[in-house]
Parts: sequence; structure tokens; C-alpha cells
Amino acid sequence: MKLILKTIALILITTGLQAQNIVGEVEYRYKIFYDKIYSSLPHLTQQERDRILLTWGNEEGYSTRMKLQFWPEKSIYTYGAPYVVQSYSWQVEDYIIENNLQDQTYLKFMDQMGKTYIVRDSLNAPKWRVMNEIRDILGHMCMKAVSEDSIKGQKITAWFASDIPVPVGPEELYGLPGLILAYDINDGMLIVEAEKIEFGEPEEIITFPKKLKGKEVTGSEYQELVKDFIQTSVESKRAWMWGLRY
Amino acid sequence: MNLECSLVFVIAFIITSNNLDKMKFLLSFLFLLAFTIATQAQSKLTIRGTVKDTTNAPLDYTSVLLLSPKDSALVAYTLTNKNGEYQFKNVDRQPLLIKATYMGYIPYQKELNLPETTELEVEEIYLTPILQELYEVVVKAAKAPLMMRGDTLEYDASKFKVPPGATLEELLRKLPGMQIDADGNIIAQGEQVQKVTVDGRRFFGGNTKMATQNLNAESVSKLQLYDDKSEQAKLTGVDDGVKEKTLNVELKEEAKKGGFGKISAAGGTDDRWSSNASFNKFDKTNQFSIIGYGNNVNQTGLSWDDLQEFRGSSAFQFGDTGDFGFSSSGGMTIISFGSGEESFEIPFNNLSSGYSNNQAFGINYNYLKDKKDFSSNYFYSRSDQIIESVNARTTFLEDNTSFTSTDQSKQNNVAGHHRVNLRFQNELDSTNTITLTAKGRLSSLTTSLLSLQELIRSSTEQSQMERNNQSDRWSGAFQGTAIFRHKFKKNGRNFAASISNTYSKGDQDGIQKSVVDLVNSTDPNTYFRNLDQVNKALNTSNLFKSSLLFVEPIKKTLFWESFYNFSLSNSETDRKVFDVEASDTPQLNPDLSRFFDNAITYNRIGSSIRYANNGSNLSVGLAASNYNLNGQFSVVEESENLGTVDKNYLNITPNVSYWKSMKGNKRLNAGYSMGVTPPNISDLQPYKDISNPLYIREGNPDLKPEVAHSFNAGYNMYDPATFINFRVSLNSTFYESQVVQNQTIDPETFVTTYKAGNVSGGQRYFSYIGFGFPIVKTKFNAFLNANPSYTKSLTLINSLETETNTFSHNFGINLDLTPLEWFNMYAGTSFRISNTKYEQNPSQNQDIINWSAYTNMNIKLPKNFYLDMKFNYSRYKNESFGFDQEVPILNAFIYKLLGQAKKWEVRLSAYDILNQNQTISQYAGQNFVSTGRIETLARYFLLGVTYNMRGIEVKKRR
Repeated sequence: MKLILKTIALILITTGLQAQNIVGEVEYRYKIFYDKIYSSLPHLTQQERDRILLTWGNEEGYSTRMKLQFWPEKSIYTYGAPYVVQSYSWQVEDYIIENNLQDQTYLKFMDQMGKTYIVRDSLNAPKWRVMNEIRDILGHMCMKAVSEDSIKGQKITAWFASDIPVPVGPEELYGLPGLILAYDINDGMLIVEAEKIEFGEPEEIITFPKKLKGKEVTGSEYQELVKDFIQTSVESKRAWMWGLRY
Repeated sequence: MNLECSLVFVIAFIITSNNLDKMKFLLSFLFLLAFTIATQAQSKLTIRGTVKDTTNAPLDYTSVLLLSPKDSALVAYTLTNKNGEYQFKNVDRQPLLIKATYMGYIPYQKELNLPETTELEVEEIYLTPILQELYEVVVKAAKAPLMMRGDTLEYDASKFKVPPGATLEELLRKLPGMQIDADGNIIAQGEQVQKVTVDGRRFFGGNTKMATQNLNAESVSKLQLYDDKSEQAKLTGVDDGVKEKTLNVELKEEAKKGGFGKISAAGGTDDRWSSNASFNKFDKTNQFSIIGYGNNVNQTGLSWDDLQEFRGSSAFQFGDTGDFGFSSSGGMTIISFGSGEESFEIPFNNLSSGYSNNQAFGINYNYLKDKKDFSSNYFYSRSDQIIESVNARTTFLEDNTSFTSTDQSKQNNVAGHHRVNLRFQNELDSTNTITLTAKGRLSSLTTSLLSLQELIRSSTEQSQMERNNQSDRWSGAFQGTAIFRHKFKKNGRNFAASISNTYSKGDQDGIQKSVVDLVNSTDPNTYFRNLDQVNKALNTSNLFKSSLLFVEPIKKTLFWESFYNFSLSNSETDRKVFDVEASDTPQLNPDLSRFFDNAITYNRIGSSIRYANNGSNLSVGLAASNYNLNGQFSVVEESENLGTVDKNYLNITPNVSYWKSMKGNKRLNAGYSMGVTPPNISDLQPYKDISNPLYIREGNPDLKPEVAHSFNAGYNMYDPATFINFRVSLNSTFYESQVVQNQTIDPETFVTTYKAGNVSGGQRYFSYIGFGFPIVKTKFNAFLNANPSYTKSLTLINSLETETNTFSHNFGINLDLTPLEWFNMYAGTSFRISNTKYEQNPSQNQDIINWSAYTNMNIKLPKNFYLDMKFNYSRYKNESFGFDQEVPILNAFIYKLLGQAKKWEVRLSAYDILNQNQTISQYAGQNFVSTGRIETLARYFLLGVTYNMRGIEVKKRR
């Protein structure tokens, strides 16, 4: 798989440069449905689930704007401008993910589980299954691919545009034969969907803070932390998604 | 070939690459390539081919994927070059599926036949364009995913917008490639559809019209069109080549829909009983619920869970008051609906004292659709309560002496409340939102009181009074509020306006009788008096409020906020007291009767600058407020004016607030506010109010508003990984001018005269520290907390400035032990010592101790038996008052869930097994100490049955 990613990067750099659509910026709407997620927690009784949906049910979900900048050799992903300008400011957590397809490495700088982590490791794409379904997102024909996150218990349905042949995507997803323009977790608990694509060199390139302050861990160490965090949360009958990105 | 390719790459690369990094990348790639070539095993495959469209033109830039046929797992992928050629190298030998996809074409896939050799030349792939209409209408316009199933295309019909109540026929008319002819037949791709199936089964014998005209379009999720074998072929198994165009309709799974309900009834010793029932039904747009309860075990409100379920989506509503601008503790405290009885809110979590018999019934309906949100409820509650209480109060006199009064009473309150709440919110468009609320309440309260009061001046001087009071009261209140919010085009610029009106009226009729029995007293006209009176009171008030708010973004992080508040409150009190002497005609008592009429006008205008960036928020503001108080007093309406109040107060109040959210769930806050509270209008009345002869109130027309400076600071943190949490806060208030009730106590008659006055120097400090941490993660948690407080209050008592200092220390420990799935235990203790020091009278210093401890235990026994035990121990102690009372309460519940789905429960409850329950209160004031005790429902047992449609909830955890 790594070789494929690398080969694709190379083919794009070499043959694809005449194509305009391998460098650009995508704005995603990250829409999370806490009512659905919360009511799916394993320790709840059916009545509690119904009670949560009844009182907290929100068809609109909770939206955050995210942005992804991509080149054939790398992608960077972080928060976008807020939808509504508020006269108060909650701490916007650091959340930057850089995938480097050249070196086959990633760097994640993120506030998770109450701490700031710097995670560095080599890329290890999710195991994708490509399905027989297409849909249109912003004028791009996208194919469906599915995957699973066994630690978080998530069924991932992604839509990638094969006419934007960069194997990157939002959040921690990548490794498909095209840019991931949308994905969905557990049939609508989280919906991430592209709202705007602009091709060409982004105006303002996302940069990491000059000094990365946080705990340095490897990918597998971080996975262990996540696993442990979810497990303790489940045992304590708490919702892990308040401390960890869904 | 490999090398050739690489060479092409190299050339292309050098042309396009312009930096050293890319060179390095290239070199490493070449090295890697060479490496993989060298290790290439015999079993590795090279697969190549060409992709073309149906006109035989090569398709470049097409994605070609290799998948594993068993689970569609992605094995490898590449892009075609400008000649439509693709090539895979070093592919592991395994069953493979090749798939090609290109914008606007139907993805193509087929299984590969692997050759014996390492080279596979795949025959040309031809991609068929997607029918333009299909792509435009289905994929692009309706945003419906298109699914390929063999030769058939399938799409999600639910994405097509049809009006509510539309039939399947109307939906079909909208779909590309579908037509409905004049006879109602379905024509799909030029052929007539022979049969319609629903979820794969024949619908009414396959009659297509029956299906299209009767099925609701909104319940359809997917439509599939395919050629089915004829019935004949299916029956005989011989394919006659006749195909029937078949339309399969897949119905949506039940729309988000739910219903739950429960009913329970229990009966027990001493005729104790309790029952409740509730039912909820909800779908996407409608929520309906009913609830009711009845008992004689002091439950006078809904439980929190029941209330939440009853109100559904309207359970939590914020920002409905429409008061804008920074809070100043001197806000509009003219009418207070805070107390339970007068509130518009549905009572919950109430456990009353004494003995009570309670019933309630409620109905709630919410409607949520698009941007409209409507909720409504009606709730009726009734309570018949008997309270038998003993109170003692010792008042200190200046000469180090004191007197004690005791009151033994039995009171019966019968109260009934009808409450209605309506709320409607509509987001008119993305910029305008309107919120309307209407609340109403109608209450009746009948009270009868029998009491025996005793005054103990010394062991030899005692007197007694028997009281018998009756009163009937009804009251009603209505509140309507409208809030309008507008967001301007400029992001961050906002405007809001609110208007509200609250009207209330109360009418009371009462009888007051008292008979004095002088045991040892020498003076017959002192503390107690004989009374035989009839009184009538009629109170009305009307409060009109309006607020405006405007927020202007100056910069991305700087905002300018301006607000204006207005309120006008009119109230009228008409209290008539008649003496019922020996004669039958009651005489109006001019000393006790009072009519007053007042108006308070409030205006406030203010502005603040807010800085908000990266979690830091600072707001600095200033407001000018003006109160105008106007009142007139007379014995009865239209009679001689006894006094007039006409006061105007203007104050400038600054306000500063700061908070910062930091990484790792840490938050810091600090603030300063200045509060101005106008005096109570009755405290300004230039007249003596002797309606309660023991406590005479005298007005003070020179009274100034209360001015207080409040400071607060706090910090809290929570670590979701370790579960450690910590919170500390400090609040302090300094009174520049405090309204206090100065007292004059007549040493002979003990009658107290209160007269409001202003003092400065009063102080209050409240602090809180809480720390929670796991001892054994997920199994054993501890939480410690302390909240020391200090209050310094000053009053004039018999013209002497009296300083009272109260230090109160409260420490608590809570432990949660949840070691096993079947066993949980919670234990804790709290200790409060309240130390009151009288600066001028140290010998009367009081130490009041409230100590409590609890343990709760939940055990799951085999065979669906559960045991819950709750033990609460409280001790109330005041040594100098000679008071020491312990109240240990032990409750135990054993229950069993029945049935497969655990919908039934049988429960045996034992309340207050030790038979010790009573309600105790203790208080030390500026020149008095009091204790009270209420006889409260003690030991009883209940045996009950519950049925819950959703299965019984076992509350194992807190």
C-alpha cells in the first residue's frame, strides 16, 4: 500500500502536473450529532436512549468548519474559519494533521484526552473496501469506499473523487484513489462533507506553531492511549467522545 | 519495461522538478524501485491494459483499481496515461477484480482470470457514459447516490423532494426515465412496468396502480427497476425468455419513532399508597406525553427523569428571559416568582415535610418541524398537607438577658395549581429568529392554623396564646414574552429586542382568632393579645419590560456591545382588616388596614467593550441606571393619604469580567460588578405598620438604595484521561450601603419595631474548594470539598450598632465504590460548623453543628433480585441552646424484575425502618437563635408493582 501511495505521488508529480486539480484547498463541514452518539452508548437502557433523543434530538447537528490543503506530496488539515463570529471565544484546540506522501510519514499535533500530543509515525492507511456506488459532491463524481475503526467502534463510509487523484482526505482518512470529499460515521453520527473546493496553490498555507509543545508519542503509542482511554471511559460509564475526537 | 517507465518518469520529473527535495525523493524512489525489482518473486504479477469509451477513444486519467473479489478490499490502484493505458507491477497473486471509474461514466468492474505467467494483458475496458438525464437529475440535482447492482442501477428515492402526503405516483413522475401514462400505467425506459413489489413481495397481486396510488412517497427509501422472469418461468423453472419489467419499492425503516410508558402502584402499612403513570409517544415532528401521580407519602413533584421525559424537547430552554446587558445584582427584583408556589414551572424533586396527600396530572405536546419549534404543556397539581411543628426562638436583649418564645402549631394547607406553558420559536430565515412564550398559573390555597404560643420570660413569668387562623386565597398570573433576534450580513453584528408583560392578581379572605391565657404574667396587654378579626386582601401587579441589544464587531477579536433596559412595574395592595367584636357587624380596623399603590420605573443604558481571542475573554463596561419609585398609602382606597413616596435614584455602575479557557480543560475566571438595588417600597412608607402587633414595621423615607461591590474569581480543571478534577472559587461582596432592619425591642412588652436603615461595612465571603480523584481507576473514586464562608453584618439594635460575625465551615468527603458489576456503594460525610459571634454580646455566641453521613448500597442478586439500602444519619447540635438531635434514617428496597424483557417489577420498600424521621432547622440571626422541628412521615412499608414498556431501568449508578 505504501508503495502505491508513493507511486501515485510520483505519477502525479510527473504526469499530473499539467492537470490543475492536484493542488488545492477543500473546506469541509464537520457535523457531529451528539444526541445520536450519546444515545448509542452501551451502558444506557432503551428508555434512557429514548429520553436523550427526545430531549436533545437535534436534526441539524453541531457544525465546525475544517479545511484541508493538498499537494501531490502532502496534505495538511486543521480548523477553518468559524461559521458564526461570536463575541466570546472558547479555546480552539490545536488540531493539525499533516500527511507527507513523499516520506510516507505523518505528524499530528492535537489536543486530545486532556493533553497536547505530538504524534509522528509512518503512514498506515485504513483498509478500504471500494463499493459499487457513486454520488456527486460539488460536481465531482465520487465512489463509495468503506472501512472500520475497531478501537472506536466506527463504521466509516467515505466518498472519494477519482478525478482528483490525490490519495488524501479529512481527519485521519486517506489512502483512496482520489480525494475524499465526504465521509460518514455509523450512519450519520458524524457527517463530514466538502462545501468548497478551490484548486491551485492555497493563499495561506496552514503552518504548525513554531514550537510544538506537547507529549511526543509514536503512532502505536498513541493508539494504545486511545484504546485505554476508551476502555476506561466505557468502564466508568462515561462518554469518551467528550475528550477524544470522534 | 520497468526501466523504460522509470526513464520516462525521470525525464518528466526533471522537467518539472525545481528543487533539491524532489531530487532526493526521486533518487530514493529509484533506489526503492530497483530494490523491489530485485526481490520480485515469480508469483508477482504485472497487469496492464487500456480503458476506452464506447466510441473507442482512449480515456486518460481514469482510475483503475484492483480489488479483492471476496470483500472488495482495495489491493492497488493507478491512473491511465493519455493513451488510456494502465499498468500494475508486483501484484501479489490472488483472486482479483479490476475496476475502472471515470467522471460521468458508469464504473466498470470484472473479475480477472489470472494467467500462469507473470504478465497479464487485460482485454480492453469500455466505459459507458451514464445517461445524461440520470446523472443530471439523480446524481447532481437530487444528490442521490447511484448504486450499481449487476446491470441495474438503483437510487435513493428519498432524496427527491415531494410535498407531504404525496403518493408514489407523484414521486415516480419526478424520476428520470419514468412516465405515468393516461391510464396510470408506469412506463420505465419505454416499457410498461408489469408488476410492483414492496420490499420484494407482491403488492396487492402486483396491481401497479393500486401500489402507486396508495403508497405514501415519504415512506419510500429506494426504488429498483429490473427485469424479472415471468411467473410462468418461475413456476416451471424453464426460462421462456419472457421478462417482466418489475419495480421494487423498498420502504424506509420506521422513521425515528418511539414510545414508552410505565405504570406503577404500591400499597402498604398505615394506609400508605403511591402510584404513578406516564406515557410518551414521539416521532420526528411530534412529541406527546401524559403523566400523573397520586400518593400519601409526601411526593409533591415529578422526579427529574420524569420531568425531562414529560417535557421532551422543551425540557431545556435557555435565554428566554429577554434581559440583555451585563447582570447587575440590582436588576429587576420587583416581582419574584422564584418560590415554588408562585412559580410558573412544574414542580419537581420535591419531598415535603409533615404528612401530605398529593395528586397531579399533566399533558405535553411539542411540534418540531424545519425551523419551527412549538411546545406546550398543562400541569395540575394538588396537595393536602398537615404540618405539626414545634419552634423555639430566643431573643437576646441588650442587658445580657433574653426571652424565649415557643410555638406549637398544626397547620393544614390545601393547595391546587393549574399551570400552562406555551413556547414558539421560529427561525424565519437564516438572519431572523423570533421566540414567543406564554405562561399562566391559577392557584388556590386554603390554610388553617391552630397554634399555641408560649412566652417564657423567666421560670416564673409565662404567658400563653392560642391562635386559630383560617384563610382562603386564590391567585393567578400570566406572563408573555416576545424576543426577536437579527443577525446582520456582517458576521458578528447582531441585534436583539425583547418585550414582556407579567400580570398577577391575588385575592385572600381570612379569619384570625387568638385567645390569651395569662399564666403568670402581670401585664395583660403585653406580648400576646386577644384577636378576633376578618381580613381581606387584594393584590394586583403588572410588570412591563423591554430590552434592546446591539453587538458590533470592531475587529475580529474586538466587539462593542450596547444595551438598553426598561421596566415599569405597577402594583396595588388593598388589605382590609375588620374587628369582630361582640357585635355581629365587623368594624374596619384603621390601624391594620392598608391600601397602597405604587409604580417603579427603571431605565438602564450601558455599553461594554469585549475582547475575545483564543479562549481569552475580557469585557469592560459601564452603565447608568435610574430608578423612580412612586407610591401612595392610605387606610382604604380613596381615603386620606397617609404618605407619599417619590424617590429618584441615579447610579453609574461599572462592570468587568474576564474568563479564559485553556488547554487541558482548564478555566480561569474573575470579575467585578457593582449592584444597585432600590429599597423595597414598603420600607419607604412614612407610616407605622402594626398589622402584626408583635413585629411593628416602620418606614424610612430617607432610605437609600443598597449598593454592593462584588468580586469573584475561580479556577477549575478536569482531566478526562485521569478523571482528576479540581475547582476553587471565591466570591466576596462589600456593602457600600446596605439596607438592614434596625430593631428596637421594648424590654417590657418585647414588641420589636423594625425600621429599615442604611449601614456600610457589611461583608460576605464565600469560597469553595472541590477535588475529585480516582483511588482505583473506574472502581473507587473520592471527592473532597470544603466551603468556608464568612459574613459580617451590622444592624442597629436598640440604637446600638451590633456586629454579628458568622463563620461557617463545611467539609465533605464522598466515596464512590463500584468494584463489581453487581455491587456499588456510595458513602460520604459532611460536617458544618457555623460559628456566630456577637461583638457586643459575646456571652451569647453560638456554635451550630450540622453533621451528616450517608451510605447507599446497590446489590444485584441472582435471579434478577436487587437490593438497595440507604442510610442517612444527621445530627443537629447547638450546645449553648441545649439542643442536640440525631436523625438516623434507614431505607431498604428489595425488588425483582420479571419476564424475558424485564418489563415487570415487584418491589418491597421499607422507609425509615428506625422510625426516626423529622425535619429539623437551626438558625442564628443577629439577635436571636431559633430551632424548629416538624413531625414528618416516619416508618412505613410499601409493596408495589411496576410495568414499563421499555423495560425497567435499574439505577445502579449515580
